[in-house]
Amino acid sequence: MFGYIAINKAEMKFKDYDMYHSYYCGLCKRLKECYGIRGQVTLSYDMTFLIVLLTGLYEPETKLEVVNCIAHPLEKHAARTNKFTDYAAAVNLILSYYKCKDDWEDEHKKKSRLGAKLLNSKMKDIQKTYPDKIAVVSKNLKHLSILEQENERNLDLMAGLFGNIMAELFAMRQDEWEPSLRKIGFFLGKFIYLMDAYEDVEKDIRSGNYNPFKEGFQNNEHFAEDCKQLLTLMMAECSREFEKLPILLHADILRNILYSGVWCRYTEVTAKRLDAPVDLPEETEHNQQEPYQTDAGDNTDPDRNHSDTGEQQS
Amino acid sequence: MTDPYSVLGISRDASDEEIKKAYRNLSRRYHPDANINNPNKDQAEAKFKEVQQAYQQIMREREYGTSGGYGSYGSGSSGSDGYGSGSYGPGGYGSGGYGGFGGFGDFGDFGSFRGFAGQYRQANSGATESEEDLHMKAAANFINSRHYQEALNLLNGIKDRGAQWYYYSALANSGMGNNVIALQHAKEALRLEPDNFQYQMLVNRFESGGSWYQQQQGPYQTTFTGSSGLCMKLCIANLMCNLCCGGSGLCCGGGGMPGGYI
Repeated sequence: MFGYIAINKAEMKFKDYDMYHSYYCGLCKRLKECYGIRGQVTLSYDMTFLIVLLTGLYEPETKLEVVNCIAHPLEKHAARTNKFTDYAAAVNLILSYYKCKDDWEDEHKKKSRLGAKLLNSKMKDIQKTYPDKIAVVSKNLKHLSILEQENERNLDLMAGLFGNIMAELFAMRQDEWEPSLRKIGFFLGKFIYLMDAYEDVEKDIRSGNYNPFKEGFQNNEHFAEDCKQLLTLMMAECSREFEKLPILLHADILRNILYSGVWCRYTEVTAKRLDAPVDLPEETEHNQQEPYQTDAGDNTDPDRNHSDTGEQQS
Repeated sequence: MTDPYSVLGISRDASDEEIKKAYRNLSRRYHPDANINNPNKDQAEAKFKEVQQAYQQIMREREYGTSGGYGSYGSGSSGSDGYGSGSYGPGGYGSGGYGGFGGFGDFGDFGSFRGFAGQYRQANSGATESEEDLHMKAAANFINSRHYQEALNLLNGIKDRGAQWYYYSALANSGMGNNVIALQHAKEALRLEPDNFQYQMLVNRFESGGSWYQQQQGPYQTTFTGSSGLCMKLCIANLMCNLCCGGSGLCCGGGGMPGGYI
């Protein structure tokens, strides 16, 4: 998926990190058990956040196990799983499936089409369990894709459509906390959409793909700062709603993510642009930029990385 | 109505953390699942609901400054309304510094907006009302009743856009979760009528969300001071890790989690 909703490890206590990591391993484990290796490679931080959030809110019975890590055969990891892990695993698959499909339709990346195809059979099971969620995701993505073709510039509208998707996915239950969870999901979704556009803007200018920030990036000298303000607006709404929930368990982890971790990529992307300003769309610059870009693509985004490796494996 | 603070057994100046603790303890005690064999389980359930309502009421009051508030964005509200109370627990989150903004209670649940709609009506009562005046009035009513989409539909059809139009549009957009446009339009309303107190309040309210958030970020300095020291280092660590693993890309895919996964 996107991987923007991550922790800031440097600011996290060791015990909190271990706790977070155990939910992450738990998600990985359940992805594999429910959807096989193809599901497992969709693993993401974003959904780990959802698990920790729901666990903090509902304090469910949670199972702790020690598992062998596929990536690190010699290491054993603690894995925590509960009923929200299974839900997040399904959501993770839904989002990865649509992201692959979207990438294929957008950019005709062969890998993505293959990725979507591979997830197809798993999606049928999920469709049966969560027909309403799938319907909302699919409807909003379709709307997004139409507006992208029309080159829509309204940021609230575009980001809001992705916000609707996340709102639907965060609202796991119909109870007294549903409105709050929806709101958290909505603004987190807007944040993700805008952050994704912010990160991809150079690439999209080069490839000619849609990006709502194209003009701003090329003409606005305060582009980075203005985007930060937009992103802050989203996180402020999201975090205020979070603070209204009666969450004590894992609250430090969640605050680390909401107030700090979500900014890791923004900070990284912005610093990189400062270090190596890009003059678009000159070809020479383009070539110079290439290795840089590739590095970022392969090493900073666990989710994309995983989808790629998924195809290699199959 | 019973005092929600006494339902939770806490004082009015309790911190958010204390409120959450009190809520957790009581809701655990009275939760239907914990009272299946309790002969008084009906009473327990009633108490459970009372505790839940009290908690939500307190959180609403603290957000809006007054009771009443309105639903979440889905049913229409903006959320960033007012910042009545500040302190967020012992973890050093904020330091209660936002107490000073308590005055936003005025804005609360758009209570004063109702009055404003009234003013609008009065100001126009003498002259013959144009269709656009009527639409503005209807839009105000829609905003009051939280039908933000309907309000926007009407507003978008209006050609003559003055400060008030931007003010209404800001409110309606905020209700729809369109927080970027909402802030822009609130600022535009204020630019057109710099002395208008209500426009000023609205801009403050929208902007205070960002400053509140930045205050919450206080304890976490690293990602903002200077460049992205940490994140970049982690990237390099991951890159090296990837190389060690034969560049399969399977392990250590991402920044911030060199522990690896899958």
